[in-house]
Amino acid sequence: MAAALIRGAGLERYYQERETLAPRSRQLEAGWNTVSTETDSSGTAETHLMVDGLRCASCVWVAEHVLQSTPGVAEATISYATGRCMLRWDPERVDLAELAGRIATLGYRPRLMGEETTVDRDLLLRLGVAAFAAANIMMMSAALYLGWWSSIDPRFVVLFQWVSLILATPVALWCAAPFFSGAVSGLKNGVLHMDLPIALGVAVLYGQGVVATINREHAYVDSLAMLVALLLAGRMLESRGRRRAAEAAMSLAASVPATARRSTGDRVETVPADQLRPGDLIDVGTGEEVAADGVVVAGSGRVRMAHITGEAEPVEVHSAAEIVAGSVLLDGAMTIRVSAVGGDTVLQQMAERLRMAADRGTRPTSADRIAPWFTAGTLVVATVTFVGWALHDGLATAVPRAVAVLVVACPCALALSRPLAAAAGLGASARRGLLFRSADALLDLADVTIVALDKTGTVTQGALTVLEAEDEALRVAAGLERYSSHPIAAAILDEAGSRGIPLPRGSDITEEPGVGISGVVDGRRWRLRPGGPGQVLLLDDAGRERIIALGDVVRSDSARTIAALHEGGLQVALLTGDHQDIADRIGRETGVRTVVARIDPVGKALWIKARREKGHRVLFAGDGINDGPGLAEADVGVAMGSGAASSVLIADGVISSGSLAPIPVALHAAHACRRAIRLNQARSIGYNILAVGAAAAGYVNPLVAAVLMPLSSAMVIWGASRVEANVRELSS
Amino acid sequence: MNAVLFLLPIAVFLGAVFLVLFVVAARSGQFDDLDDPPERILKD
Repeated sequence: MAAALIRGAGLERYYQERETLAPRSRQLEAGWNTVSTETDSSGTAETHLMVDGLRCASCVWVAEHVLQSTPGVAEATISYATGRCMLRWDPERVDLAELAGRIATLGYRPRLMGEETTVDRDLLLRLGVAAFAAANIMMMSAALYLGWWSSIDPRFVVLFQWVSLILATPVALWCAAPFFSGAVSGLKNGVLHMDLPIALGVAVLYGQGVVATINREHAYVDSLAMLVALLLAGRMLESRGRRRAAEAAMSLAASVPATARRSTGDRVETVPADQLRPGDLIDVGTGEEVAADGVVVAGSGRVRMAHITGEAEPVEVHSAAEIVAGSVLLDGAMTIRVSAVGGDTVLQQMAERLRMAADRGTRPTSADRIAPWFTAGTLVVATVTFVGWALHDGLATAVPRAVAVLVVACPCALALSRPLAAAAGLGASARRGLLFRSADALLDLADVTIVALDKTGTVTQGALTVLEAEDEALRVAAGLERYSSHPIAAAILDEAGSRGIPLPRGSDITEEPGVGISGVVDGRRWRLRPGGPGQVLLLDDAGRERIIALGDVVRSDSARTIAALHEGGLQVALLTGDHQDIADRIGRETGVRTVVARIDPVGKALWIKARREKGHRVLFAGDGINDGPGLAEADVGVAMGSGAASSVLIADGVISSGSLAPIPVALHAAHACRRAIRLNQARSIGYNILAVGAAAAGYVNPLVAAVLMPLSSAMVIWGASRVEANVRELSS
Repeated sequence: MNAVLFLLPIAVFLGAVFLVLFVVAARSGQFDDLDDPPERILKD
């Protein structure tokens, strides 16, 4: 269908010409043959790339179509949201460098992707195997534990134990490998984190399992499989969240055009954007994006800079005005003197901040801090037990008791205390409309002292609405605006529709961008032109003025939410790129005392940074790509679900409903969650002291262990389940 | 009780069949991108 449209519109020539331009293919050729690919049995190779510069769904369609029609390509799909491209091809007939070249000739930029995907897939496979083994082992363990009460045929005990051990072998040797490598690399670098007791626990449980199964004693491989499966599940969820944040940063970096028209003397040539130098002059026409930051030297027009300012309304730009890369020229034509290119542009600096935020993902948790003490404590007790019993009763008693200490000292409850409580907290918050990407973000929320809010689209609804106008003025204005696609026109037509005003049919209508619209309605000539901030003026042929007041409407529950935040002892601030008087008005309406107006995206980030340096913890809520740096800089960034995709992807949390009300509730969830984690850790340490003590004294037999081990996990699960009840209590 | 002697291998075998299906699906990238496929239909 799209092909027919393109042909029908005579657009195919555009693509032909683009191919002959081939702006960037040269520099890309190096390096493509070193990309790791997977080859299946039929000889088809597969790999993933990132494709930058996709600006619309039809870009995706064109790129996919060109790739698929290349001889030798079996399959090519590109994700519009993330720019990820999956390619399957026959290496005999075509190579990756050639395919990348074809993408480049279309004007898009293929590049190598990080290793994250394969890591993800690898974790998923390990989790699948561990879950399969754990489920089957549990089935047999239930029979074995019940066998302690009623008699069980010893032959079945042997059978169950051997099958369990066989199933547990890949879990211990392959599924748990990330924990072993984590522990080893931690030891090499002198960092002891939670992987260490986990690796130790897995090794001891598996070693004990092998020896016990051979000696026909009780093995604890069920705990082993369960431990590994649960921990892998937690790790995979974390890894997915991190990858999405990274992809958001990449997609922002991509939103600058690949080529620009450089004018030298009286000649104009198309050059790759990365060959531009400060001082070059570039021409920009209607509908084009600006490839570099610069100053307008000639011409004028209306420019949409929503990606920087977040305000959707086009801005009038004349000579000497500054313009940033990625802006779209809606109408007019201009020549720009380039002032910054590549990494120096405002857009790239924003992307850089986002990337830094994505890298900030991992940090030690409280469980990591306890881990070395836990490991050391267990080893000390095991050694003391061994030496004590060896001196007292001899080796025959000492060995099994020392092993029992290591076996019951399960890091399971400790390692799970956080993920489980966090999952409960995340769930409690999500049910109330605020979805968090990671547990870290939710827990950070408990420390927040300042809540900074973006104005447009966050505190307000983010769309222009008519605030005040006479019916008659509205009717005439609607008659003039009915053919326009301007946001003001949409607001006027909406309001006229909701008041039930029949639209007159205007004639002889001319729209002059930035100046206004004029035409004949009911036999009289009218002009509609911009007035003061938030106003348009309707003038009749006698020169009489009627004012139509337009503005962004505050969300209905913003004031209540902000009052609730104040009540909770938090400072609330409003950060906006809009005019001071509009910002002040919104501040008064919602009860916000700190109002910062006319602040650009980087300014918002700097404002937040300054507060953080003074020791505050800042939550920032925003909705545009332009809020990206703020969202990244804040301790907790919250995006509105209705906002720009990049802000949603980079934020720590996303509000799914069109309201700020979930924020105070999520604060309650954060406090409840943190309390549950502390209690859980205390419980699991208490359990370990009790269990290790009993094991050292020789009181642990398989039956006691069968009760104790699930008890520790159950305790942690019960603690986590209290989170929801606590949130309900705090919110009421 | 002898029923267990052949039920157990059957149960484990059935589980293994699904595990293999899962591994094949994961290797072929079916779980790599869970967000875009639902939107692909809107593009053409």
